[in-house]
Amino acid sequence: MPGFDLQLLLHGQYHDWLVAGLLVSLKLAGLTIACALPLAIAIALLRLSPHRALQWLGATYVEVIRNVPLIAHLLFWYFGAPELLPDKLKERLYAGNFEFVAAAIGLTLYAAAFMAENIRSGIRAIPAVQFEAARALGLGFVAAMRRVVLPQALRVTVPPLLSQVIILWNDTSIATVIGVGEMMYQAARVESAAFHSVEAFAFVTVAYLAGSLALTAAATWIHRRWPVRTL
Amino acid sequence: MQINLRSLLATVLTATTLVSVAHADQLADIKKKGEIVVGVLGTDEPNSFVDPRTRELVGYEVDLAKAIAAKIGVKPVFKQIAVAARIPELQQGRVDLLAASLTHNKERESQVDFSLTTFVTGQKVMVKAGSGIADVPQLAGKKVLTVKGGTQEENVRKAVPNVDVVTFETTQQAFQALQQGKGAGYVNDEATLIDDLGKLGPAKKDYRILPTNLSTEPLALGIRKNEPALKKLVDDTLAGLEKSGEAEKIFFKWYGPQTKLQFDKRAFKIDSDKI
Repeated sequence: MPGFDLQLLLHGQYHDWLVAGLLVSLKLAGLTIACALPLAIAIALLRLSPHRALQWLGATYVEVIRNVPLIAHLLFWYFGAPELLPDKLKERLYAGNFEFVAAAIGLTLYAAAFMAENIRSGIRAIPAVQFEAARALGLGFVAAMRRVVLPQALRVTVPPLLSQVIILWNDTSIATVIGVGEMMYQAARVESAAFHSVEAFAFVTVAYLAGSLALTAAATWIHRRWPVRTL
Repeated sequence: MQINLRSLLATVLTATTLVSVAHADQLADIKKKGEIVVGVLGTDEPNSFVDPRTRELVGYEVDLAKAIAAKIGVKPVFKQIAVAARIPELQQGRVDLLAASLTHNKERESQVDFSLTTFVTGQKVMVKAGSGIADVPQLAGKKVLTVKGGTQEENVRKAVPNVDVVTFETTQQAFQALQQGKGAGYVNDEATLIDDLGKLGPAKKDYRILPTNLSTEPLALGIRKNEPALKKLVDDTLAGLEKSGEAEKIFFKWYGPQTKLQFDKRAFKIDSDKI
């Protein structure tokens, strides 16, 4: 077995592949988090809305999405769903980087289901009288949530949401199964081209760890900057 | 931090070396445990695949491996592995022998030993007949699809420098993506491409295999490095099959005119482990 070749990770072709993979992973995670958070808030609100039909819609979304493994979601959005589209649209879609698009859609919908449950718990942690008082002052459901309940609930939700975001960051690695050139994909490429598996996966491990630690630091800062207001 | 990481890895690597020293003679170990574990793809008709009727692994490479097990006098145990996992599985001792459509090339010689060449195939590209692509150079700037962990990606990049390659876990997924129009071409061993076409039935006429070979791929069985006793036995068994005409029979059983592959002649002999 050859020794650990650090040079390989610092420059040259394999370094370039791995760094390109890291950038794709960051882009995928960033885009997914940005889209999943608002979607999650919307789903949590659906589940807590006063209308039966809307509650049912939110609950169905959460159960359908989170009871199927992520890999199945990604394969569905890449191989399955687009086949239902008309040919012209399909051609246009496939001409671009459809691998990335399908991964972003699958990951966003998946992460949003879990985040929605975190946010719903956060909302439920805020005493009901807050909401009732807001309604008594004449605010509607959406306004009461937006101006009174959510600002407090999101503070409570920061720690569980952080876990979810870290999971999402690590889950971007599954996008390799639909050919997205993210970090795991590029590490496998280095492995098959040069058999430097130890170096490639050491890079990947350090990168995922660094990403997760950075997220933890950011969440700690957010938690300090906007602490939970005890009542 | 860097030094710590390096010394940690050094420890791991030393430990790995010690383990492999402990199993100095693999052939003796195989005899002792009474079985030889053979890593096969199991999804690669006709080299190794699951017979839908008997649900058993069968195929050209499976037959060769059975002959080797019979020669040692042990039971063959087949283990399905992924394309990208082949060499690591062998190196880490989870399989004793690879019969997994393994290309013998120079880069891999430092990682594993190869038996006599058991099959020679070329890698080619399949495209949709209506795509207007007549041969390999026209793939420039287009997206081609193939499987992870093999030599396909490297070969197509060599043949078409600015091609865009997307790889999947299995060849079936890559072929599926071609059918759905997610890329212009699908790269694989010629024998596999012919087999894939056969599975399409009447839709076969909508696809075409481009004439130019991307590479010539000698396939061989993979043996862990520095196992001279096992390598000699494998090579002797294969040479024996060639001499008795059995190797040719096995070839025609899986690749011959009665099969989907319809090869009417065998363009190689099992007689060399040089490439």
